[in-house]
Amino acid sequence: MIVDLTPTEDQRMIEGSVRAFLAGRLPVERLRDPANQGGAAEAEAWGELVGLGLFGLGLAEARGGLGLGLAEEALVARALGLHLVSPSVLAQIIAPHLAEDDGLRAALIAGGTRAAFANRIDERSGHLVDGEGAAYAVLLAGGITIAAIDTLGRTEPVDAIDGTVRIRRTAASLPIVPRAAQADRAALLLAAYLTGIAQATRDMAVAYAATREQFGQPIGAFQAIKHMCADMATRAAAAEAQTFHAAVTFGRGFDDAAEAAAAVLLAETAALTNAKANIQIHGGMGFTAECDAHLFLKRAHLMASLPGTRRLHQRRLLGTAS
Amino acid sequence: MRLIESRALDAFRDECRAWLADNVPREKRPPDGPAMRDFDLAWQKRQYEGGWAGVSWPKDYGGRGLSVLEQLVWHEEYARAGAPPSGSMFVALSHAGPTLIVSGNEAQKARHLPAILRGEENWCQGFSEPGAGSDLAALKTRAVIDGDHLVVNGTKIWTSYGHLATWQELLVRTDPDLPRHKGISWVICDMRSPGIEIRPIKAMSGLTHFCQVFYDDVRIPLANVVGEINGGWRVAMTTLGFERGTGTIAHQIELANTVDRLIAAARALPAPDGVGRAIDDGAVAAELATLRAEVLALRSLTAASVSRGMREEVPGPEGNIVALYFGELSRRVHGYAFELLGPRALERGGAHDWPLHYLEAYKWAIGGGTSEIRRNAIGERVLGLPKGPTAREAAR
Repeated sequence: MIVDLTPTEDQRMIEGSVRAFLAGRLPVERLRDPANQGGAAEAEAWGELVGLGLFGLGLAEARGGLGLGLAEEALVARALGLHLVSPSVLAQIIAPHLAEDDGLRAALIAGGTRAAFANRIDERSGHLVDGEGAAYAVLLAGGITIAAIDTLGRTEPVDAIDGTVRIRRTAASLPIVPRAAQADRAALLLAAYLTGIAQATRDMAVAYAATREQFGQPIGAFQAIKHMCADMATRAAAAEAQTFHAAVTFGRGFDDAAEAAAAVLLAETAALTNAKANIQIHGGMGFTAECDAHLFLKRAHLMASLPGTRRLHQRRLLGTAS
Repeated sequence: MRLIESRALDAFRDECRAWLADNVPREKRPPDGPAMRDFDLAWQKRQYEGGWAGVSWPKDYGGRGLSVLEQLVWHEEYARAGAPPSGSMFVALSHAGPTLIVSGNEAQKARHLPAILRGEENWCQGFSEPGAGSDLAALKTRAVIDGDHLVVNGTKIWTSYGHLATWQELLVRTDPDLPRHKGISWVICDMRSPGIEIRPIKAMSGLTHFCQVFYDDVRIPLANVVGEINGGWRVAMTTLGFERGTGTIAHQIELANTVDRLIAAARALPAPDGVGRAIDDGAVAAELATLRAEVLALRSLTAASVSRGMREEVPGPEGNIVALYFGELSRRVHGYAFELLGPRALERGGAHDWPLHYLEAYKWAIGGGTSEIRRNAIGERVLGLPKGPTAREAAR
């Protein structure tokens, strides 16, 4: 058995069509307009997202899906991260895998019933992320749960770090069902989204370093900047390789929990560290709200709250999880 | 992205495993000197006789003629079986041999490749000089044509196993008037030639594996030039990234084993504050988990590199990413032993010589290109950033 990490022709087509669609319909610049925030732009493009077959992509045909695999879903998740697409689109990709009920699953695949992510602060509270119009919440914390939104109790809007996402504080958390395989699978897709952020910030920093001139030359000619860019590329490459290696080998005799945990830890670090480096390389512009660099940092912090605590993933890697 | 499952490959793997189980030398490898070289050559000879030498080398020269996939499987099984490092055969197997396969002429290939695979002769490298390390193209060792010979004068440094090698892949300046990269030739040097003097250099780990080599009117037949005269830079660059990380797979698996060893120690040791086990301490768990995540990522990066290797003729600059990651991680993994194990890690010898492995690990971030030079290569050749002001000047 050999793990081939180069995308196949079909995978390239799927990823290419999703990326082309996102670049045209949901470019990152959209988020500068408050009218497009909080998943509003995605809601407007919802029919097209359903049409692209994103929901149910990796689900068996017998269960109403397209019969592709986790690798294809991970490629899509990375593309979503590249464009800072609302986390709810990723939640909608994961949700059909969790729905036991045939009717609910079909409704999630068709997009008529919507899902959103929740995170957990403590036993009694958490956040609901871009939950406008969603009927179900997906929560990862140890295991994974899908539950009707109203089980989260009364929710109140909060002003959170990522202002391009609508976040509500919930008055209850969800009971965790220890469905290890589904939790690892979902965590890997979150890792893939985070590698998209790591990749986008790398590319943004490199493009700026190649064109911004000081001391009569592009700042990327200076090793202080060049080496930061090289480290960004290395971090992104390692996180990506681990995420896709874990996706391809999932359920095939590897230690899925440890492989997914490694992907999550590395992808979180890569997304956050690259987002910070991107701001630094953009200098004064990077500190402004006019440059998109801050959007990636804020989203990286939000996304890193979704796969559960780092401590949990560390325990999985060390085999000390209870 | 997919799993390639092939019965033929599985069968090949079983074959590797079975042969290695019966043939990996059980006696301890001598740490140094001619005894070590003889051990390495004998082990190579045994692999040749078993049909396992040069898995992906052409059949005409004694190899198996199989693909990079079988080569990878062989490397993996080799490391898992705990087979000895190629050591003083490394340059011959991983660098000089592949270079001759790509750039050598018929006579050169026929003369040298079978001798390498049969474990009759080994090679060393003569690239770096005291004044040409990271800036390799600054090399000054001069070769002047005299009849049908080159006459070489100068010095090379960091020549691993130079005192124990039969042949050397040597870069010399054959035309000092041409631009830096254009006046260099790649030649096969017989280490037994008159005029060669070798001074072994002791490394900070205490091991003596590399040397400085001095050349005083050393005569090398012109027939030993590989590729064109003055075309040596290209010959060297074609194969510099040849291994794509598969050459370090044995070291990668060893690194993963070292992390396992640290984790096992953390289960047995008390926590830093004396309450419970070390592995349950938050800071210890965070560092060990990160190290384990990174050795998994190193394996994944290598898989990605091999996967590209199945599709490209000439390796791209991405190999620098694997090498940089491995070099930096290697130092951190071994360095963490001191934090985790405390003063007991200071002692040399013992079941696992932590100081030896730690001190040796520094070489991976220096040899074959320092981490800084690799970052330049990633910045310029992978990401397309402009060359720095000094490099621009020198390149003129």
